[in-house]
Amino acid sequence: MLVVSAGMMMPAIFSRGIASARAMSLEGSRFAQAASDRTLIVVQMAGGNDGLNTVIPYTDPLYHQMRPTLAIPDSQVLTLDSRLGLHPSLKALQPLWEQGHMAIVEGVGYPNQSLSHFQAMDIWQTLDLSGNGTEGWLGKLVSGWVDQDGHPFKALDVGVQTAQALQSISTPVPTVASVNAYRVYPDPADRDAGNARMQALMKLYSSYPKTSPYAALLDTTALNAQDGSSQLRQADATYNPAVTYPTNSFAAGLKILAEAIVQGLGLRVGYVTLGGFDTHANQQTTHATLMQTLAESLSAFYNDLNAHGKADSVVVMTWSEFGRRVEENGSLGTDHGTAAPMFVLGKPINKGVYGEPPSLSSLDSNGNLKYTVDFRSVYATVLDRWLGASSKDVLGASYGSQNFLPQP
Amino acid sequence: MSMNDDDLNNQPTEPRRKLGASAGRPSMAGGISPGQMGAVPPTPIAPVSGQTIPPTPTYRFARGTQGTQRGPVTSSRQGVSRRKVLGASLLGMAGLGVAGVAGGLALNWAEHGNSSNLFHSSAGSAQIGHLLRRAGFGASPTDLATYQSLGFQGAVERLLNYQQVSDDELENRLKTLNLDLNKPADQQRWWLLRMAWTQRPLLEKMTLFWHGVLTSSYQKVGGKNFFMRMIIQNQFLREHAFDTFDNILLGITADPAMLFYLDLTRSRKNSPNENYARELMELFTIGLGHYTQQDVSEGAAALTGWHVEGLTSRYIPADHNNLVKHYLGQTGNFDYKDVVRILANHPAAPWFLSRKLFTFFVYENPSTDDLKPLVDSYVESGHNIGAVMRTLLLSPQFSSAQAYRARIKSPTEFVVGAYRALGLQGSGMALPSFTTLTGQTLFNPPNVGGWPGDKVSALWLNSGTWMSRLNYIDLLLVRGGAIGKEQPQPLDLQAVVNANHIDSPEHFVDYYASFLLDGTLDSDRRSMLIDYFTTPDVSRGGAQVTLTDGKSYPLNRVRGTLYLMMSSPEYQLN
Repeated sequence: MLVVSAGMMMPAIFSRGIASARAMSLEGSRFAQAASDRTLIVVQMAGGNDGLNTVIPYTDPLYHQMRPTLAIPDSQVLTLDSRLGLHPSLKALQPLWEQGHMAIVEGVGYPNQSLSHFQAMDIWQTLDLSGNGTEGWLGKLVSGWVDQDGHPFKALDVGVQTAQALQSISTPVPTVASVNAYRVYPDPADRDAGNARMQALMKLYSSYPKTSPYAALLDTTALNAQDGSSQLRQADATYNPAVTYPTNSFAAGLKILAEAIVQGLGLRVGYVTLGGFDTHANQQTTHATLMQTLAESLSAFYNDLNAHGKADSVVVMTWSEFGRRVEENGSLGTDHGTAAPMFVLGKPINKGVYGEPPSLSSLDSNGNLKYTVDFRSVYATVLDRWLGASSKDVLGASYGSQNFLPQP
Repeated sequence: MSMNDDDLNNQPTEPRRKLGASAGRPSMAGGISPGQMGAVPPTPIAPVSGQTIPPTPTYRFARGTQGTQRGPVTSSRQGVSRRKVLGASLLGMAGLGVAGVAGGLALNWAEHGNSSNLFHSSAGSAQIGHLLRRAGFGASPTDLATYQSLGFQGAVERLLNYQQVSDDELENRLKTLNLDLNKPADQQRWWLLRMAWTQRPLLEKMTLFWHGVLTSSYQKVGGKNFFMRMIIQNQFLREHAFDTFDNILLGITADPAMLFYLDLTRSRKNSPNENYARELMELFTIGLGHYTQQDVSEGAAALTGWHVEGLTSRYIPADHNNLVKHYLGQTGNFDYKDVVRILANHPAAPWFLSRKLFTFFVYENPSTDDLKPLVDSYVESGHNIGAVMRTLLLSPQFSSAQAYRARIKSPTEFVVGAYRALGLQGSGMALPSFTTLTGQTLFNPPNVGGWPGDKVSALWLNSGTWMSRLNYIDLLLVRGGAIGKEQPQPLDLQAVVNANHIDSPEHFVDYYASFLLDGTLDSDRRSMLIDYFTTPDVSRGGAQVTLTDGKSYPLNRVRGTLYLMMSSPEYQLN
């Protein structure tokens, strides 16, 4: 959360946040030399993705038994190994798997999983298991980096609202709906392209009394916008995607992120959301469309980066606030569930299935899966092994790691 | 009680928010919006014997006459309207008059509402300005004069007793626009222009509040043939905005858009769908921590029996699960009416609702003491929302320094507010795209939790939405809001100058500050604006504005000064 100004009463967690952000800032510069060209793209699948129909335990008879209408027939499953296969609409991801650029972490969750979208999203993004956290784990990470050396785009969120994962107490993250909208249009009656007007406006912001409501937020937001808009506009003028992206807003978002990477804007953390996964009813078509959108857009993104020689420096990680109930409901859909798989994509990845698919015969009292991998160990892996950050500092504790990325 | 300027200048040094408090639940872009949902046709309902209830007051909006020619559509089916389902006690504001708390006013700004010095005062206009921003969408000079003449309490009465104020002019103007209310962009224009032109601002603001709480999205109401369900829901929320919470919950449970949005229409008595049952408790009435997963599944069973049929809905007793349910500590063969009764009477409900209202209308992270009077009003008035709102608006907290500019304007407040303040009469074509670019698409919330910015207003602001706010102001001033092929109509500043006898740059700044910024601009900032106005320059094409003292200034500087005021930090705050 961002609203900070001098003298603000700040809960202890945020003072710690500041301290660790400062520590990380130092650490970040040390580390920056080794890994400054590395980028993490986080893809949020909002609404609770049906993990069982994404990475399918197709050989388990219980899967077919508990999902008489929604189970994907064996013949359509894209086989990964003798136990698991992909939803047929994820076909565009198959080449990535075959080339060794895709990992799946199975059974990801946390203790006492919440069936509330909002508490679960809070937990995944702030790591506060009470669901009352505010500062995002990525916000904490990037607050020491953003603007450190004149790069406003160390982090970039696509959309009209900054994701909670990227909320930080000290640094607003640029939030871009589209490249065209990310600029200030001048009054044509101004013959200086609006420069004098913008200068006067920035003066109104910098001189806004620091004790006034939202002073820091307003000032940093204005600065952030001013710095970023010209850089993005320049980058955009010379960027040519190497592939044709699918025509949906999720793909358009990935294209903005690719542009920031290819054009060397210094992007370390990118964030984009695909929504619509809350499939309580008539799930089949909806979910298939979402799977296709996800796979084709990510595939285009990868191919674009690859063609620009950037595929070695980008890792993509997906998450969703929960999986869905094992047994289908009476509305051809599934209700809120718990553990689910995460995808990790990119050239630097060790291909494979990590973690353990949860058992379908040993469910919790609500008929939901028992998690086998703590989501924080996945975060720790990308922090320690990819971004070279200290996961202990960012996450507040050590949660082990997964082997989908090599030891640095 | 007297008032000096210090009271106003002594504004809260911080937005009063405890960052860790549970009230604010920031969420993320994209949310759970079912953006990819395809059109799903409504389930055909097999004719059943017994009582047939099409409970929706089916307003039909004929093309070109939207917003005025509405009335119950004659149904061939014998049935009971949603209005009937709500019970005979549907008297709207009936409870309002009795439940007022006229005493106990400790307004910082009270007794200053009658200042006649409209354009150069701060005290009275600031308090009325604050009231109209919170309980409406800001003020034009006319609004300010109208409400200021009533005094603060009189202004509150006028806002609450909206039926006594005619909105015919609005309805007539909307009629001329030939909006097609089957289309989301026209739906948004229809509502945004209502907000901009209404003489009943609190009614529209309250409708907006409910839309953010009891929310649905056109992305999942049954496909494009049924987008009209969103307007039906909107009209329901407007007509019952100040009704009892019980009636509002009964109506929203039977609402066609909601039935589809949260899948109650697909719930089956032998296999209940949990979606509505869960969100009804978590997001609409009592909140997390007051129910268990068992309450979700038992509640879902109790809520079965509803179906959407076209633009109406029906309750079919034969489709209702008749088993005994254990729900929130009570046991019985409950149906939807019992669920609503239990929830509206649940001890957590008034606190939950009061927190939402207080956060939306006053400031974030209210204390128990802040909420207690609202909770008491809820209980004493028989759950009447009008009574609760009266208590809220007349509370010392509402008029406190802590509340002043304590929230970032929402996209709707910003976009509508600027349109209203400048008195624009155009097509409103730009309003939907600019509310979207600034972070809020009406009838399409990010997810069932509504807009996170309604809870934590800081979430409305980021680099992208900030630039879109600036661009919107530019569009209003340079083109009068015209987009695409529309003929640009630049704001006629010469006419404003002439009509208001503006005879100096100072007067220009003070005139606009009086209703845009409560007249509270401090001298440093006022000087910056005047400097900008008077800096020698030549507007492209040489256009000028001549003040009534005969001196001319380049158009770009005059217009730029107003742009700076509406792009300033102060103007982003509500």
